[in-house]
Amino acid sequence: MLTSDSLLTLGAATAAKAPIIAGDPLALLIPAMPILGVIICTLCGIFGVRNKLPAFATVLCLAVSFAVTAKLFMGHDGGVSIATGFEWMSLAWGEGQGQRLVADFSLYLDSLTILWMLFVTGLATLIALYASEYMSHDVGLGYCRFFAAFNLFVFSMACLVMGDNMLLLFLGWEGVGLCSYLLIGYFYKKPSAVAAAKKAFIMNRIGDVGLILGVMLTFVHFGSIEYREIFAACQPYIDLAKAGKFNEIPAIVQLIPILLAVGAFGKSAQLPLYVWLPDAMEGPTPVSALIHAATMVTAGVYLVARTYPLFLLSEYALPIVAWTGALTALVAATIGMAQFDIKRIMAYSTVSQLGYMFAGLGVLTSTGAAFHVVTHAFFKALLFLSCGAIMHGFAGQLDLRKLSGVGFMKGWGVVGLGMFVGCMNLAGFPFTAGYFSKDMILAEAFVTPGMAPIGWILLLTAGMTAYYTFRVFFRVVVGPMHYEPGDELHHAEDDSHGHGHGHHDAPAADAAHASDAAHGHSHTHDDHAHHEHGHGAHFHPHAPGWAINTVLATLSVLSIAAAGLYFVKSPYAGGHAHGGAVPGMVERSSAAFETPFSHHGAGGAGGESHDTIKEGGHEGADGKAPTHAAAGAPSFVPTAIAKAHGAEAHAGSFFGYDPHKAMYYVSGVVGFVGIFIAFILHYAGRRTAATARADALLPAVGPLAGWAQNKWYVDEFYDFLIRKPLWFFSNVFYIFDKLVIDGLVRLVGGIPRFIGAMVRPTQSGELHGYAAGMAAGVAVLLFLVFILTMR
Amino acid sequence: MLASLILIPLAVALAIVVLPAASARAAALLGTLAAAAMTVVALVQFDWTQGGLMQFLTTKEWLPSLGINLSFGADSISMLMIALTALLGPICVLASWTAITERVKTFYAWLLILQAAMVGVFVARDLIFFYICFEFTLIPMYVLISLYGSTNRKRAATTFFLYTFTGSVITLAGLAYVAYFNSTLPVETFAGAGTWTFDIDVLEKAAANQMSLSQQSVVLLALLCGFAVKVPLFPVHTWLPLAHTEAPTAGSVILAGVLLKLGTYGIYRFALGYTPDAFVYYAPVIATLCIIGILYGGLICWVQTDVKKLVAYSSVAHLGFCVLGLAALNHTGIQGSILYMINHGLSTGALFLLIGFMYERYHTRNMKEIGGLAAKMPIWATFMVFFVMASVGLPGLNGFVSEFLCLFGTFQASDQWSSGIWGSEKASTIGATVGKLGPWYAAVAALGVIIAAMYLLIMVGKVVFGPLKEPGGHDAHGGHGGGHGGGHGGGHGSDSHTHLPADLTAREITALVPLALACLIFGVYPKPLFDALKEPVDDTVKWVHKIEAPALPEGNVNPNMIGSAEAVTPVANAVSNVQEIAR
Repeated sequence: MLTSDSLLTLGAATAAKAPIIAGDPLALLIPAMPILGVIICTLCGIFGVRNKLPAFATVLCLAVSFAVTAKLFMGHDGGVSIATGFEWMSLAWGEGQGQRLVADFSLYLDSLTILWMLFVTGLATLIALYASEYMSHDVGLGYCRFFAAFNLFVFSMACLVMGDNMLLLFLGWEGVGLCSYLLIGYFYKKPSAVAAAKKAFIMNRIGDVGLILGVMLTFVHFGSIEYREIFAACQPYIDLAKAGKFNEIPAIVQLIPILLAVGAFGKSAQLPLYVWLPDAMEGPTPVSALIHAATMVTAGVYLVARTYPLFLLSEYALPIVAWTGALTALVAATIGMAQFDIKRIMAYSTVSQLGYMFAGLGVLTSTGAAFHVVTHAFFKALLFLSCGAIMHGFAGQLDLRKLSGVGFMKGWGVVGLGMFVGCMNLAGFPFTAGYFSKDMILAEAFVTPGMAPIGWILLLTAGMTAYYTFRVFFRVVVGPMHYEPGDELHHAEDDSHGHGHGHHDAPAADAAHASDAAHGHSHTHDDHAHHEHGHGAHFHPHAPGWAINTVLATLSVLSIAAAGLYFVKSPYAGGHAHGGAVPGMVERSSAAFETPFSHHGAGGAGGESHDTIKEGGHEGADGKAPTHAAAGAPSFVPTAIAKAHGAEAHAGSFFGYDPHKAMYYVSGVVGFVGIFIAFILHYAGRRTAATARADALLPAVGPLAGWAQNKWYVDEFYDFLIRKPLWFFSNVFYIFDKLVIDGLVRLVGGIPRFIGAMVRPTQSGELHGYAAGMAAGVAVLLFLVFILTMR
Repeated sequence: MLASLILIPLAVALAIVVLPAASARAAALLGTLAAAAMTVVALVQFDWTQGGLMQFLTTKEWLPSLGINLSFGADSISMLMIALTALLGPICVLASWTAITERVKTFYAWLLILQAAMVGVFVARDLIFFYICFEFTLIPMYVLISLYGSTNRKRAATTFFLYTFTGSVITLAGLAYVAYFNSTLPVETFAGAGTWTFDIDVLEKAAANQMSLSQQSVVLLALLCGFAVKVPLFPVHTWLPLAHTEAPTAGSVILAGVLLKLGTYGIYRFALGYTPDAFVYYAPVIATLCIIGILYGGLICWVQTDVKKLVAYSSVAHLGFCVLGLAALNHTGIQGSILYMINHGLSTGALFLLIGFMYERYHTRNMKEIGGLAAKMPIWATFMVFFVMASVGLPGLNGFVSEFLCLFGTFQASDQWSSGIWGSEKASTIGATVGKLGPWYAAVAALGVIIAAMYLLIMVGKVVFGPLKEPGGHDAHGGHGGGHGGGHGGGHGSDSHTHLPADLTAREITALVPLALACLIFGVYPKPLFDALKEPVDDTVKWVHKIEAPALPEGNVNPNMIGSAEAVTPVANAVSNVQEIAR
């Protein structure tokens, strides 16, 4: 066993040995194509193109990226290779270890990056197609701006996911933040959108500081920020962690993952930095779907998965991740239950599901977490795009009290179906993709010793999720047909577009709602869709066209098909099959919870043979305890060791049953219960859009519903606790600067002036001569002082 | 070669005085372009493989009895600063094209003289010549502010002049003392000792190698009196917001772009060169002032309502990062700092241009009166967002490269890594260097990155985005636009003030595009800059940490850390270069 003395020289001994396997240079096309898209869209903007060219150029570029990713996937053997680009931030100040900062524009290709890029580029292509129709009101400069930022986003995401070092990841990390900023603020005349964009960027920056400090600390310790070198150097520490000897792992190493986690919490909207994500819904819906549901917000999950070997080295990092995730999941779910804006509900559910993913990472099922990322990406994108179609068609209406029975209106069938498929997945209805991926996390939470409370929190959250998901479904998609148009803010830029949307200002719509059904503007919908609104405006719902319907149908199919991933075997020969294809891919990467590069030669396999490495995963629960259990592990055993050693693994059970099997039933039942409650409260016997049986329950929960609806006043709390004091002090500083600091200078400066005025009452006003004379005097004086004192 | 870079602007300035006023701006444009072309020639002829070597050295006797010569020379750092100066020259002329309508000849003549003086600072190899150029920059700037500034220009100009002049006079005293000290040394100490000379290199050897720590400390204090005011470091920064706010656009661009860098350049050349021991000793103090400046300046930015003042205060914060990198005294930090000088000049210079263009159209910089300009000026808004992102330090643009390196250098530079912080005494810290700063300095300074995002994005949110708000029918007749003279009759809306269209003209775009390209290229491919700066920065690190002969390491020890804990003289990690060869 390694001692702490030998650790001193550890980096130097191992890091340099990692060989580089040259990756397919074709991979460079994955980030290059979106950049081409940016250039095309910019040129379209410069030359004033007023058609859908930017959209179709984008779709084409992204489709090529996707095709390249798919090709890489087909030809991938599960190993690690690096496609070298060009030197970016590479700086050497010596020849030795730790004297070269290498951060090149090179791509790290392993199963994890390929998995991530498959769904990122795939979804981006689909959503770009959707957006070509969704954004059609803004054809012209706005359209170019939108798609340029869209392309830039995919480029940044590619850098984030595929970068072979932490700094390139950081480039992508901040790049997606920028695109998020630009796209949330797309309707830049709307103050709320601008504020939301700003908030998102600044909140993310808080996390980014943690991340960049983590990167620096990584360099100081490992002497490199390239993954392959870090992972190779991690190996001896992992052996220590497996033996439970965390006290032999220096604190400096254990601090790295905690700093990285701060960054991950910011980007993935976890407590306490989650508040930007719901506000981000101000952006156009395709943006919400792609960036704020499917891809960007999972970057934090990716970061943890990618640097999992580092997280395993810390006694506290993974428990922190697990608890943050679980609490975020719970808090966001409570808020989601009380909202009325369906897009916001989806936003909170995203926060909540991201919490699930972090909890998964924390309870050592990086495979389950990644599986949930993938399934969630599809069904949440589907849900958002369905909501977007509704918003698009009903002039921005998103209030579930003002929409009902949309799924049965003419031309809205695909949207209704999409909502149904998405809701089933999100609620974890048995045999949907969301059910399988959620199960993996839940089960592992009960398997991993000490993590059962997290399992219970997640189980409770699962029930709440099912409830609020189907609350939306039962209110909006089914039930009596009814609608009120929204205030159409998202078309504010172009008042004269030809869809016959009336103008409905928000107060009027509210008034209409208040007066409810009796006045006849809340009548059920007829197929002519001529809605005589109470205020005399004509409104014509605008059913989605081919692009939107195609994308929704495709995503519905994919969301259903994603369940199949659970049954498909790992794409790699000799892979561990549990959990299907996605876990099969993940376990080939650094995200596999024990050792990086356990199978393939690119990393520091360091003599560990195949069979001793991959035992822990699910075998423990299946009763095949690995034989190399360490004697004398400390009594408080953090998660990593517990899993690695079969003796401990048996500790996890669910009332004496194997959690893996029990969860199939338990989570299914919990999902049913949630859906059933939603059915009773929001569907059964509901005659109008505005009221449901649930309203009768409001007095019973007291002020809780109101508090939850007001997001537990977290924003106000931050404002009061951080922003306001900071603002106050900034003002104080400014006054201090003007009065005290400048005043002192003035005072000092005034003395010679005063003397000068005394000596020369008739000042000529010749500043130069006066100042020069004064200065020369001072200089001579000081010169003398120097000579006299310094001898 | 280098002299021509000074003489061309001077000659053009003379020509402008002679030529009729109508041709002044054209002459100025041609002159600055000629100087830029000459700079390109110099950049091509410069041997970049030997960036640390003073090249194009020329010496002419000037006042031999006093040991004063006219001597020029440039290493890669000087060359980059000259390139920045030359790039900003024509851009400033373009930016003033319509804004300056009165006393045109005076304006452009002084602008060109200013350029000559700034180049002089960067090429000087003689202390007196350096100082003359350094001080002479004040006079053109004084004229530009006091004649062409806005309402409060007189006071701003006077404050600027007196403040910086007083500081730099003390610097002169310090430098003169170094010369005197050298003349008192025994002649055999080294070549040049014991004579009355102002040769920068000779005096560097005298001060750095022969002075005691206390002597160096006093000299360092004297140097900082001038240079820290120029940078400006907290707490001697208060002249800057005033001068920036009142200066005409071209003045602000030059001020932010180059003049402030005279301070950091001075610190690099003289504080590090002449007083390395004292600088090492006082690095934590200097770093603390920088960090206060970063946070304090940033927070003050947040409460500004005047856009130009906001950007001015942001310079206080930004240059805090720049000097922090110097105080790290390792390769990463110093290289980051030098890049910061260039990058700040590009991005903040561009921000001042953009604010100037806005001011020319609306005659206000008050964020309460103006907003949502993206609707009216999409091109302007695009550039604004771009340069704000460069200024915020977005990776992929230039600001990030330098900001990261400054912070990273600070993070690395701590003896605590070897003596023990967070259990590091038991762990490998091969990426660390000697120094007195360390992770806490970096962590606190990094908060400035969040604050920067706050104030800049809030500014963008108000001015660029949001509902369109124009100062229609405000009091454009009187108060505003003082120096812009009567050309702007006032009135309603924006366009009636000037004959400018709503959005940027081709001329204005031409001024911005080179800066934007530079920001992008240096952000994506900074390698040429890294390569160019490697050698001089290596030399500086060795110089500061007194690394001359390689110390052979024992066993497999972290080369960065050799001698840091126990040896008397700290050894920087650059030493390993030699060690590797020695093995």
